[in-house]
Amino acid sequence: MKLSKNFTNPLAANNPIIVQILGICSALAVTVKMEPALVMGLSVTFVAAFSNLIMSLLRNGVPSRIRIIVQLVVIASLVIVVDQFLKAYMYDVSKQLSVYVGLIITNCIVMGRVEAYALGNKPWDSFVDGVANGLGYAFILVLVAFFREFFGSGQLFGMQVLGDWYTPNSLMLFPPMALIIVGCIIWVHRSFNKDLQEK
Amino acid sequence: MALNKNSNAYTIIYTIVMVVIVGALLATLATLLKPAQEENVLNEQKESIMKAFGAEGESFDKVVAGVIKNGNEFHEVDDVKPLFELISNRKALAELYKDYAAADDELPIFMYEREVEEKGHKYQETLYVVPIVGKGLWGDIWGYVALKRSAGNLEVVGITMDHAGETPGLGAEIATDKVQDKFVGKLVFAGKLVYGGDNKIALKMQKGVSASDAEKMPSTVDAISGGTKTCDGVNSMIENSLEAYVDFFANPKFVEKKK
Repeated sequence: MKLSKNFTNPLAANNPIIVQILGICSALAVTVKMEPALVMGLSVTFVAAFSNLIMSLLRNGVPSRIRIIVQLVVIASLVIVVDQFLKAYMYDVSKQLSVYVGLIITNCIVMGRVEAYALGNKPWDSFVDGVANGLGYAFILVLVAFFREFFGSGQLFGMQVLGDWYTPNSLMLFPPMALIIVGCIIWVHRSFNKDLQEK
Repeated sequence: MALNKNSNAYTIIYTIVMVVIVGALLATLATLLKPAQEENVLNEQKESIMKAFGAEGESFDKVVAGVIKNGNEFHEVDDVKPLFELISNRKALAELYKDYAAADDELPIFMYEREVEEKGHKYQETLYVVPIVGKGLWGDIWGYVALKRSAGNLEVVGITMDHAGETPGLGAEIATDKVQDKFVGKLVFAGKLVYGGDNKIALKMQKGVSASDAEKMPSTVDAISGGTKTCDGVNSMIENSLEAYVDFFANPKFVEKKK
């Protein structure tokens, strides 16, 4: 019961991007097209899940003075693992994501979850928490990328959907539009979740 | 004995052990995955050469790899690996182009013969691919340009470009077919190509030229709106890289050619 709530909570009611407003930077950067957004979301899910798992296993041995450093080492190593695997087996996607894979290290969601959850909970719960937060992040990324790719280039997953009559709105390709779309999603989300509205 | 987890000794030992373990793991992983990664890079280079030739998906075996010595002598090489190593080392290649001195430098080049049919008449056409390298807005840009000699000028047969970190949707568009196809059929030089003459490279991307106007201008390619800095980088990449090859294209000599 607790576990399933643990899983569904970050997907909507406590979504890392639209409720906790974490990880906004990469949500602006990699959402021009859907495919990189999806791979980025899955990579973050992997890193968040395993950094949570590892830190939760280590939580009783880590000296508290250097715990942030230990977290960074674990997260950075996992990011390098993802980067190396993408380069070896998914070369095309790794090229599309270019520098952003390395920037997963700076994603506030990963470290935020380790610090807020994994250091105080059992490994399995922490793992589920990492997966759920990663997926919550991935979902918003793909949603934003959908609007940006659809209106910005008339394509979805790189395939032309809108015909020649449509003049692509290149304003959608600029990062500020991602911020506006995220804002709209937050607006819609809060109109359904009245308890999140600030008085 | 209870362990004091906040003591300095514990913290230092913990850090050392952690760094050693993580370092060893990552080094092992990198070593294991390196062959697959290098293979990817090599294949990608071969594919993008074939793509520049307009023979995408065809085998690389038909391509003759060589180096240009003394400014205009083509020497065939058997082992392509050192060539690709030089091309992958973008800094070294850019240096080579920048300080090119015909006397002792060797320029990488690839040659490909294809049969073309025109008005029922079949003939062999020789295409050349040269690597190009430069700087975009955020990082390196590089690629290959395929050329053929035609009527005292050089015509672009195809171009492939790639980038390290240009802005997705803007500068990064240089890596798409949409932009690269616009280069096909463009002429490299403004005037007639003369050996030893002042051969000005005119091929460039220019903003504010409509696509239909660009069609009428033999050396101008419509630039990407929003990607001006990247397009400027493409222009200097083309100019700096091709300059080293001018003598060869003006007066090519083939030395020790097997066929």
